Amino acid sequence: MAALDEELPAVSGASSRGRTWRTAAPYLLLLAVALALPLFANDYWAVIASRAAVYWICVAGLNLAVGFGGQLAVGWLALLTIGAYAASILVGRAGMDPFLTFLPVAAIGVVGGALIGATALRLSLFYFAMLTLGFSTIVTQIALAWQSLTGGGIGLPGPAMPAPFNTPWGFYLFCLPLGALCVWMTLNVAASRFGRALLAIRDAEVAAEASGIRKPAVIVTVFAFAGLTATVSGQLFATLQSYITPDAFTFDLTVLLFVAILIGGRGSVLGPLLGTILLTLLPEVASPLVMWAPFLYAFLLLVIVLAVPGGIAELIDFKNRKPLKSGRLILPVPERLPALLDAARSDAAIGVSGLSVSFGAVRAVVDLDLTVPAGQVTGLIGPNGSGKTTTLNAISGYYVPAGGWVAVGGHRLAPGVSSSRAAAGIARTFQTPRLVGEASVIDNAMIGGSTAGRASFVETLLALPRHGREEAHLRARALAALDAVGLADLAEARCDRLQHSEQRFLEIARALMMRPRFLLLDEPAAGLAVGEILRLGALIKELRRLGVGVLLVEHHADLVLDVCDQVNVLNFGRLLAGGTPDAIRQSEEVRSAYLGA
Amino acid sequence: MPISAPDTLLRVADLHAGYGKIGILHGVELTIGRGEIVALVGPNGAGKTTLLRGISGLIRAQAGAILFEGTDLRGLGPSHIVRRGLCHVIEGHRIFTQLSVHDNILLAGYGLPRSELAVRVEEALAVFPEIAERRHERGASLSGGQQQMLAVAQGLVRRPHLLMLDEPSAGLSPVLVDRVFEAAARLRQAGGSVLLVEQLIDKALPVADRVCAMVRGAMVLDRPTGSPGLSDEIAAAYFS
Amino acid sequence: MLGAIVASGLAMGAVYALVGIAYNVMFNASRAMSFTAGTVGMMGGVLGALFIGRFGLPVPLGLAATLAACGLFGVVTEIVAVRPVLKSLDQHLYVLSTLALALMATQFTAIEWSTEPQPFPRLLGGVGGVLDEKFWLPLAACAATIAGLEYLHHYTLVGRAFLAIAEDNYAARALGLPERNLRIAAFALASAIGGLAGFAAGELLLAYFANAQLLAFYGFVPVALGGIGNNRGTIVAGLLLGLLQQAANFIVGGVFASVAVFVVFAAVILIAPQGLLGGQRARRV
Repeated sequence: MAALDEELPAVSGASSRGRTWRTAAPYLLLLAVALALPLFANDYWAVIASRAAVYWICVAGLNLAVGFGGQLAVGWLALLTIGAYAASILVGRAGMDPFLTFLPVAAIGVVGGALIGATALRLSLFYFAMLTLGFSTIVTQIALAWQSLTGGGIGLPGPAMPAPFNTPWGFYLFCLPLGALCVWMTLNVAASRFGRALLAIRDAEVAAEASGIRKPAVIVTVFAFAGLTATVSGQLFATLQSYITPDAFTFDLTVLLFVAILIGGRGSVLGPLLGTILLTLLPEVASPLVMWAPFLYAFLLLVIVLAVPGGIAELIDFKNRKPLKSGRLILPVPERLPALLDAARSDAAIGVSGLSVSFGAVRAVVDLDLTVPAGQVTGLIGPNGSGKTTTLNAISGYYVPAGGWVAVGGHRLAPGVSSSRAAAGIARTFQTPRLVGEASVIDNAMIGGSTAGRASFVETLLALPRHGREEAHLRARALAALDAVGLADLAEARCDRLQHSEQRFLEIARALMMRPRFLLLDEPAAGLAVGEILRLGALIKELRRLGVGVLLVEHHADLVLDVCDQVNVLNFGRLLAGGTPDAIRQSEEVRSAYLGA
Repeated sequence: MPISAPDTLLRVADLHAGYGKIGILHGVELTIGRGEIVALVGPNGAGKTTLLRGISGLIRAQAGAILFEGTDLRGLGPSHIVRRGLCHVIEGHRIFTQLSVHDNILLAGYGLPRSELAVRVEEALAVFPEIAERRHERGASLSGGQQQMLAVAQGLVRRPHLLMLDEPSAGLSPVLVDRVFEAAARLRQAGGSVLLVEQLIDKALPVADRVCAMVRGAMVLDRPTGSPGLSDEIAAAYFS
Repeated sequence: MLGAIVASGLAMGAVYALVGIAYNVMFNASRAMSFTAGTVGMMGGVLGALFIGRFGLPVPLGLAATLAACGLFGVVTEIVAVRPVLKSLDQHLYVLSTLALALMATQFTAIEWSTEPQPFPRLLGGVGGVLDEKFWLPLAACAATIAGLEYLHHYTLVGRAFLAIAEDNYAARALGLPERNLRIAAFALASAIGGLAGFAAGELLLAYFANAQLLAFYGFVPVALGGIGNNRGTIVAGLLLGLLQQAANFIVGGVFASVAVFVVFAAVILIAPQGLLGGQRARRV
């Protein structure tokens, strides 16, 4: 890391500070309004404002799972309900101190959230949505039925707070800092390897795995945090209501929590914060709307999904309204590559032996032997359906081979564990770029550096020093990687505004973030202009010079014949021929496989 | 836009198309006359299948013109285009495995008058006696070659003016390939035209009148099949 | 007691199965799961009570009007909540758009109809007990739907086109099938089936807006157990679910019946996410 500091200029202090202020401005404005509220509003508004803060605390954690992670936890109200009842029972029946009660309540949230998160790993989105919805219904029904504990339909008093928090404004001033804390913590997570991992899991899951992101750990951790904020907000909710019955936890509230996030915008903290405030205020600003409020929530959701999928966050994202420069050229700087890769070279090779992959009765790859040596470019060509991409996917661990194995330097890789490949030094790109469209270009590149992170989730939440150091390093490296592939000027642009060819080079930058010893390129030249293909070729040659082993699956014969040291030709899943580009060019067998002659 | 010559059935001019941001076709030109069989060849990823999809309305063309019997097909969906007599047999013999052979062909004539439909189904089945025998069996019970015949039979039901076949020979034994190409030749005798996408150039050349080769989303070669040195020219185009 | 369990279990099971079929028919035409399957179930009860109970229409006319209104809602669902998001099927936006539409319809009903359960009129009268119409009507509706779907799929061109689209949408489009119109028709049909379920179960479930959420969940359970898109599996799982729920209801009480159903549901989808009776899984890379 020390060597890196010398070679890579740190992100310049002034511009980084300017960016921080611009990001912080809307939050500071909201905070100022929130702090000034007691000066000009009456007690009724204290209750409304507290309610917004309490809802936000629940939404804040859920936002990471739903907005960032794309997990459709529709019935998260269940955990808020559990938190509210647990706190009311502990304070009211067991006589616990209301402040101390937050600890067991939070613990319940962490456990409950983690358990629900674990189910999300096994279920498709709609199933998971249904499961959480069902769970939410069940919790309310149990609350109604378990009279000895919950008071059934009669309910029980919520935990009363001692002075000075026992007045409307006093309680508001207790909730507000907690709400602000949630803003700060979720912003920290959003701008960390966890936040980026969540976005990658949501929009580009296979790329997340190839980057070494372990989905189970990330999802369960984030759901545990979401559970914590839900149960804590449940306790606050019970205090705010002063008396809770199952009726207090209506389906409308479930909808509010969920819709606030989507109206706010996926992958944003500010948007859902504004969304929560908006939905809490909506019935208050016009009293005839009270009855229609849930209808309006649903209507807003529909409008957002159909018309503004980015939500409020997209509406207020002025930075990305400016048109990007037209007629851009991708000009890679291969000289930047050495700083990005490990200096220590290794002679280990990827060895594929006896690999067979079948899909049902179809044998896509049959008994294939292949070597990808370090410091060489190995080409893999063949007609459509000959098994090229299947071979690549088996090496990357997306398929469990029916026979044979993949090894690096003699060590066999676990079959079918795609997230273990990054640690073995294998990076890859995809036939269709797998990127997070809503994230910035540099954030997409930084996804590739996920395995380098050591700071734990708690360190990230609280922005402890190690987290900050790692982020700064990663950012500098990502800038260097973007520079190397020729995209440095676009670092802050939203990824989905890029041209297709730029996205292909961005995938290479992301792969470089892993300090790969091997790079698997799946048709990197598809859709590229002639000049871009030449520059891609130069980049590949420089990687070879630096000792990276490249496996190139490609249709563009000119590129393959230009950069490869060894070309392997597949046909019907078997190795048809192998040799130098010149030998392949002359080979009658290859010609006949391609031309059917 | 110049008016097409009377014997021109299809004229594709400066066609641009692709998937989302990925441009595959960069200004493709193609002309097919009435009663002509044209073989379209090219390496993987050249855009042959994309061109067929663009013509049949399965994907929307971004720019250019597709004139079929004088009218521009751009913007029309496949259900309108098949009714004008342009049928597309997609790659990979994707027939409906849960439906019977008969029903598969019946569906290909969706929208034809009921009485007419029965006649057409028999007509299409008559081309391939080996699947006509199994008309009440499910598509799933057919072999790969028979499924391909069924797919071609589906394309024949509407008595198309232009039939586009996407790699009909893939995975078939040589005998079956000949059967499929025979059907193409029969359609030409009846006045129809065929656009044949093939990887097996040597199989396609004997039945075709003309060969067009695509590389990287553009047409690079257009020759009558009889022209000398054709095979070398094609190979040169592939590895350029 | 056994008679009561079996009668009410099969009746509720038939309702769940029908709502499940509504999910399936919509899924097969569009690859999208629509929360509105529960909504139309609710609408069947409410509209039946409205047309027959409040407006005094004769039963056949009331039924026809209910099914027509539900079918129309299905058309609206397809146009408003499904077609616009079909292009981004992988993003699962349909989950949100159909949820939004389902909530809107439910809330509208709550405000304009009633927030309390309202009685549903007797349709035929006659005997009480376990042979009462409220128990056999849902079963009859279920049988009629199965027969109708069998006829549709085996004897009509439109029905075969439905099957074709369900199996391979792309190939169906290439063949020139009018995919959009067929999808609208499928949504209308599915919604009418859901409406029929709610109508037939009107005397059991009453005309109550909250049935939408209930049926959206309980109707989905047999789909999850039987395998998405698999109508036979859905019917079997639906009837078993109804029996299990009613047995638990009589033996240990209502809340624990719901808990039992939820636990079975959760356990099955976690252990066999593709359903007990099979479904399909897509390739990812």
